[in-house]
Amino acid sequence: MGREVSESCVESLLTEIVSSYCNGFYADKPELAARRIEAIGFQVGHQLSERYTMDRPRFTDHLEAIKFICKDFWSEVFKKQIDNLKTNHRGTFVLQDNRFRWLSRMSVDPSIETLGSIQDPSAMAENKAAQAIGMHLYFPCGIIRGALSNLGIPCAVSADISNLPACKSFHFEFFYSANSLN
Amino acid sequence: MAPVAPRSGDAIFANVERVNAELFTLTYGAIVRQLLTDLEEVEEVNKQLDQMGYNIGIRLIDEFLAKSNVSRCIDFKETAEVIAKKSHGDGFLEGVWSWIHPGFLRKQKRKKMEKRKIENESVGLKMFLGVTATVGNWNAEGTTCSLILEDNPLVDFVELPDTCQGLYYCNILSGVIRGALEMVSMKTEVTWIRDMLRGDDAFELQLKLLKQVPEEYPYKDDE
Amino acid sequence: MIVCVAVVGHQNNPLYIQSFTEADDALKLHHIVHCSLDVVDERVNNPKKSSPTLNETFLGLLYPTENYKVYGYLTNTKVKLILVTTDLDVRDADVRNFFSKFHAAYVDAVSNPFHVPGKKITSRTFAERVSTIVKSFGLSSGS
Repeated sequence: MGREVSESCVESLLTEIVSSYCNGFYADKPELAARRIEAIGFQVGHQLSERYTMDRPRFTDHLEAIKFICKDFWSEVFKKQIDNLKTNHRGTFVLQDNRFRWLSRMSVDPSIETLGSIQDPSAMAENKAAQAIGMHLYFPCGIIRGALSNLGIPCAVSADISNLPACKSFHFEFFYSANSLN
Repeated sequence: MAPVAPRSGDAIFANVERVNAELFTLTYGAIVRQLLTDLEEVEEVNKQLDQMGYNIGIRLIDEFLAKSNVSRCIDFKETAEVIAKKSHGDGFLEGVWSWIHPGFLRKQKRKKMEKRKIENESVGLKMFLGVTATVGNWNAEGTTCSLILEDNPLVDFVELPDTCQGLYYCNILSGVIRGALEMVSMKTEVTWIRDMLRGDDAFELQLKLLKQVPEEYPYKDDE
Repeated sequence: MIVCVAVVGHQNNPLYIQSFTEADDALKLHHIVHCSLDVVDERVNNPKKSSPTLNETFLGLLYPTENYKVYGYLTNTKVKLILVTTDLDVRDADVRNFFSKFHAAYVDAVSNPFHVPGKKITSRTFAERVSTIVKSFGLSSGS
């Protein structure tokens, strides 16, 4: 613990992995590229949740674990807490980050306004810039899914960047089976 | 406009955004693991990691120049000398380590020192780097040298499985060095001599200068 | 003396189990570890509300047998750590100290990018580290 690296280290790795998968070996298969990038994030999230919960008391319920993700975990990885947490009490949670760290320095084409959810990569195939951002988001989505699933909350995570570029706000939405809610 | 004075290493260090090294270490590990799954051949993974490093190295030099304010309006030629020319060692050390560890930028203060002095400073480096990096093993012509690392944040927690014995796990580093040096007009070949993941006592990269490209300065001198 | 330690996954799948006895009683020790898992589940699912150890990762003494004492620890990621000792007079602080080091070793082992979650921990580094922790049990912690 205690060792630090320049944040640009992580940024440059992410840039490289996205370009390797999207322009290189999976250039024609954005769905596959997306899945691989998400898988990398998943492993990182899985391992980080193990490390970051090491000195904590056990979570009593899922909500406590989710709050941990929104506060402590988010702060460690993205250097701020999320701005808003909403739930429909049926297993869907929406995490809003108004200045999402990893994209705040990416240049965004102002013409992108009708960006869809990254759940549908083919829909944005026409717009390279949008696709690139979408691809970058698979990594944090994977991190969050990996962390949550290791804390006993198997779920699906998606990111919605429809508000770009105006307020650089990001929604991470995840849901999990109501059966697993105690 | 008056040229901006080169900033001290401490000032840069204070302003560089840092993250916990674990995020970096684990991300790199997950990338290597995923590449092994997708590319299957260990040799292909080595190549891919080197290529990724090369791309990073190219950008890294820009960032390095920008952050240290020794670029553009002052004199790019001098900058290139600072980074690369004095010896083939000093510059890439700074560049690579500013990528790995912002603390290394502090070494800017000593940028004009001779190679020998920098070697002597390796103990001092450890104070803020957490790692010891030395340049050595120069050949008589001054075209080949080694970079020796006794510690390396990339390999925390890593144990190579028996199936990956041909893997150069840290190959991204050799790419970074190659890319960065190429941006300051030096074509090099970078090879691993020692690797702690394979049981050696240190990491050693050998740098061989292939060609000194005639220098072209991308920035016009305003004055 | 510690005779056995184990790491058990959230589906009660053994991830690592190592006994430290000369005698050929590995089977018996594995059985003891196995039985302790139910006690962990019981303890976690029906916590004593008044207990000060509510939500603590350290679960304390799971059960004493004739010859052994079995202690348990549960991580936030639902991984169980088990300790079997023959010592009859064990200090709480020593056991806590042991588990905190054991947990740290486990976390580092699963941080290896080549470790597959849910699979057995085969790392030599981990085995050596655990063996060192076991040997130092009760020696260093006076605090």
